Amino acid sequence: MKSPRITLAFTLVGALALGGTLAACSSDSGSGDGDKNTPSATAAPTLDPNTKVTLNVVGLLPGSTKEAQQALADEVTEFQNQYPNITVQTHDYEWKATTFAADLAGGTLPTVFEIPFTDAKTLIANQQISDMQGYVNQLSYASDFNKNLLQYGQGPDGDVYAIPAKSIYAVGLHYNRDLFTKAGLDPDKPPTTWDEVRTDAKAIADKTGQAGFAQMSQSGTGGWQLTVDTYARGGRVESEDGKTATLTNDATKASLQFLQDLRWTDNSMGQNFNYDWAGINQAFAAGKIGMYTSGQDVYTALVQANNIDPETYGLTMIPLEGDNSGVLGGGTMAAVSSKATDDEKAAAIKWIDFHYLRKYTNEQAAVTNAKTQVASKQPVGTPELPIFSQAQYEKYQGWIKPYVNVPLDQMTGFTSKIFDAKLVNEPATATQDVYAALDPVVQAVLTKKDADIDKLLADANTKAQRAIDSAGR
Amino acid sequence: MSAASALPRSGDRSDDVVAVRADGPPPVRRVRRNPVTWVRRGGLSTLVFALPVLVVFGVFSWWPIVRSVVMSFQKTNLVAPATWVGWDNFQYVLTDPDLPTAIRNTLYFALLALVIGFPIPLVAAVLMSSVKRLKGLYSVLAYLPVVVPPVVAVLLWKFFYDGSADGVFNTILGWVGLGPYAWLSSPTLAMPSLVVEATWAAAGGTVIIYLAALIGVPGELYDAAEVDGAGIWRKVWHVTMPQLRGVLFITFILQIIGTVQVFLEPYLFTGGGPANATLTILLMIYNYAFGRSLGGDYGAATALSVMLAAFLAILSLIYFKLTSSWSKS
Amino acid sequence: MTYPPSSEDVSGAVPQGAGRLAVGETLTAGGDAPSDLQNPVGAAVLASSVRGKKRKSSQLDGDRGFVSEQDWRRPSVNATMKTLHVILLVLLVVVGVGPMLLLAKFAITPTQDIIRTPLAIFPNGVRWANLTEAWNDVEISKYFLNTIWLALGSWFMQLLVATTGGFVLSVLRPKWAKIVNGLVIATLFVPSVVLLVPLYLTILDPPVLGTSLINNFFAVWLPAGASAFNVVLVARFFDSLPREVFEAAKVDGAGPFRLFWSVVLPMSKPILGVVSVFAFIASWKDFLWPMLVLKDPSKQPLSVRLPAIAAQTDLGVFLAALAISTLIPVLLFLVFQRLFLSGAGLGGAVKG
Repeated sequence: MKSPRITLAFTLVGALALGGTLAACSSDSGSGDGDKNTPSATAAPTLDPNTKVTLNVVGLLPGSTKEAQQALADEVTEFQNQYPNITVQTHDYEWKATTFAADLAGGTLPTVFEIPFTDAKTLIANQQISDMQGYVNQLSYASDFNKNLLQYGQGPDGDVYAIPAKSIYAVGLHYNRDLFTKAGLDPDKPPTTWDEVRTDAKAIADKTGQAGFAQMSQSGTGGWQLTVDTYARGGRVESEDGKTATLTNDATKASLQFLQDLRWTDNSMGQNFNYDWAGINQAFAAGKIGMYTSGQDVYTALVQANNIDPETYGLTMIPLEGDNSGVLGGGTMAAVSSKATDDEKAAAIKWIDFHYLRKYTNEQAAVTNAKTQVASKQPVGTPELPIFSQAQYEKYQGWIKPYVNVPLDQMTGFTSKIFDAKLVNEPATATQDVYAALDPVVQAVLTKKDADIDKLLADANTKAQRAIDSAGR
Repeated sequence: MSAASALPRSGDRSDDVVAVRADGPPPVRRVRRNPVTWVRRGGLSTLVFALPVLVVFGVFSWWPIVRSVVMSFQKTNLVAPATWVGWDNFQYVLTDPDLPTAIRNTLYFALLALVIGFPIPLVAAVLMSSVKRLKGLYSVLAYLPVVVPPVVAVLLWKFFYDGSADGVFNTILGWVGLGPYAWLSSPTLAMPSLVVEATWAAAGGTVIIYLAALIGVPGELYDAAEVDGAGIWRKVWHVTMPQLRGVLFITFILQIIGTVQVFLEPYLFTGGGPANATLTILLMIYNYAFGRSLGGDYGAATALSVMLAAFLAILSLIYFKLTSSWSKS
Repeated sequence: MTYPPSSEDVSGAVPQGAGRLAVGETLTAGGDAPSDLQNPVGAAVLASSVRGKKRKSSQLDGDRGFVSEQDWRRPSVNATMKTLHVILLVLLVVVGVGPMLLLAKFAITPTQDIIRTPLAIFPNGVRWANLTEAWNDVEISKYFLNTIWLALGSWFMQLLVATTGGFVLSVLRPKWAKIVNGLVIATLFVPSVVLLVPLYLTILDPPVLGTSLINNFFAVWLPAGASAFNVVLVARFFDSLPREVFEAAKVDGAGPFRLFWSVVLPMSKPILGVVSVFAFIASWKDFLWPMLVLKDPSKQPLSVRLPAIAAQTDLGVFLAALAISTLIPVLLFLVFQRLFLSGAGLGGAVKG
């Protein structure tokens, strides 16, 4: 489905360019009724080195340390040296479901911005992001992407609109080795079943007075983590086709029961039940939480924003129980605003390549990037899931091995098992609304002693179904 | 005016002069405004002066009010032009399972705020009006919380309300053997916690208003009461209170209207939780418009706003009908 | 939200301008004889302001109160009243000032102490670095400056609209003044929530301008001017000015601009002072609107920024930042007490 707009754009670009590639472009636009699901293999014109472009891109989390900001600034300088005609301006950014919509509507998102996997298809349908297939084809590794990840950002025409870029994560169990030791537990033997999580949490709470286990509950993160727990016990919150909410499944009930037991019977969850993603990180880094679940890449944020002591950090797999259990995974894609000019798009793909992707496929880039990060005391080597193949990822790890400054040996519980684990994607339809419907359920279980789990889930299911039905309303 | 002067003069474009009559009442001479006369009479400069108020109100007040009502019947998604959907938005809002909760919570907040926040400033103001020395100090102390930016107050109190045993309030209560309480993490305590902070922040303003009104009570009334042998209590009850009636009536309805629109406290303290215990109508409107990940539901947001506004308007009308009949009695 | 809606701000949800006072503000039919002159307080304040006298504690010195001289001489009354006063004073100090004092203490206490023993008095000494870190690392200075800019612009817009609008409605009085007056007052009856969404969309796509005003300070300044309360307040005040002065000036050949600038404005200093003070404070307190329209963190004022960085900032430094943010409004209040308090009372007079 090539829109006339794209046809026009290509024609204009052709006129601007030195002419040679016109034929290829217009044959693209003409073949709109051909095989709809195969992305075109031709490349869009590259940026003329004499054309000056200013590119607005997302930068770091607000409140990141000065060192992190400096590292990014250095990277920008290097990029601009390589492409003198492109000026890059970075903007602090934290993706929050609540502000993203307003940013998008207000046009205040930078030209190149980041979105979670789950949002891409809706943005494509709303024509809010650009078709980048032609530009992706310019990349030498265009065909090496992990197809599972790529498909999140593909439109109905098979073209890539959003590119898997960073923070490809699977949820892991983070734990505080220090608190483990203080509670008489072995920090090298973190729990592997939910029952063990429970006993360990109780031990921590009893012996150290800190929360043994904590769970996020605000701003959609409550629903997110509850979905994590559901997947880990073999359940799903939406039907396969994404049209029905299935919140009342046994795995979700069991997850809530687990929380209820830890909270009220064992009293091992501490006193704070208002955590969102940033808040729980802060509390964990401050040594107030023994264990919690979150994306396995959270370590980077813990260093950049929360000053964590690396010695205390441990990462392991989230316990998986039951058939069909899996680890919730997701990630961040880079997208280009549909209002971007072709010059901006051409510049954007270069930035995306440079900033997000190059290091995985090019040894020199990996090493340079690692060195810069180390120099600014940024974490190098935080576990990731591969954007390309696993083999490529292992090569990458080899390249940066000398520079790794994160305690990888404290994360073996996770890294040794994750590649064999079944990864399950976040619910496809109205994801954030489903999460928002589950937030009050988690909050109720954590704050009301005799919360009726069945009733809460039934109510939440109604709300989630309503959201799914009116998705895109 | 004589008939003669009603004749059109050259250069005068007053072509709407009434027909001359030889007898009867003098004709009205209406000079049609022509630009020159208009400017000379100051019409232009008046317009220039009026420009700021007309433009600013027009663009940022009058038009948005109209637009709000219009949008409540439309589906707006910022990418495509708006489409008319009739009562769909209203239906959607009224069938939202969270709406009854929000309404209940909002009324609860308003009621609590009234119970806690209405009598206290009154008592304080009455006492303060009888203070002889250091009057200014009392006023300053009472009004101080009002000038503190609400965001700062909420964030500070959020810290005070920390649920652990070392939280500020829990520590203080611990001295008398109470607590520790979960405050913002407790579905039952969350709303009262919000009300206490909101009252703290706003009571000072009411105190000052009452004080100003108290000063206005004519002294002769007290003199007369004393002649009748009234003691202090009788004077307060039978002279001061009735005199304050007007101010009290107004403040009462204003407080209701203000508290029904509460947003900041639920948003910053608890985000509407725990488990929607502090979800208010304004928070719902905000969530409709700005809380959805991929595009706000502006139709639903404006529909709910319009319904709330209509409710408040009706409430005020009823209130004023009632109180005016009371005042007259 | 501040409730009950004081003369400063009723909207929790909207720019301080548009429809700030909620339904129910009974301003007796706008444009008619200023009814607040019939209210003794209003009269006193207006009269003294016209005469240009400095308002003393006229706010608190009215006629006699409900306690007569004889009452005071009775020992039981004397004792009771004095005890009540003392209790009230203590309560006011603890409740009114207590939290602020705690904040000041936290601002220079090390984080661990704040968490473990919040009410102890510096068990491990003082940490002045909280303040410097807040100012520099957390860059409170930048947001502080943003807040000041926003306040100045809003103040200017409000004065501009209120004085010119009041002048037209009260002094120039063209034929259409009544309509405009009515429309302005009508906005007082509309709860601010109604404006939130359409105003936001207007800012996204303003008429004439063509580009969105998001991240532009004008998105906050312009709507701030639409404060009906200010216009009415100033118009009322102008109504109370003696017409003879205007006549005299006109006879001397003053056109409307001269009249405005050299006659009316100088006589209006008191009301301008009140409006200014409230404009400044209202801007300092504004939260929701700047949060919606100023998305770029580097443009955000303190009220928007502080909650956003709460989770990434060390507690002691964060509380120091809170303390710094409170400093200016509190100082302003202490310095300009009379203006604040009389204005707050005036708000009540207008309502009555």
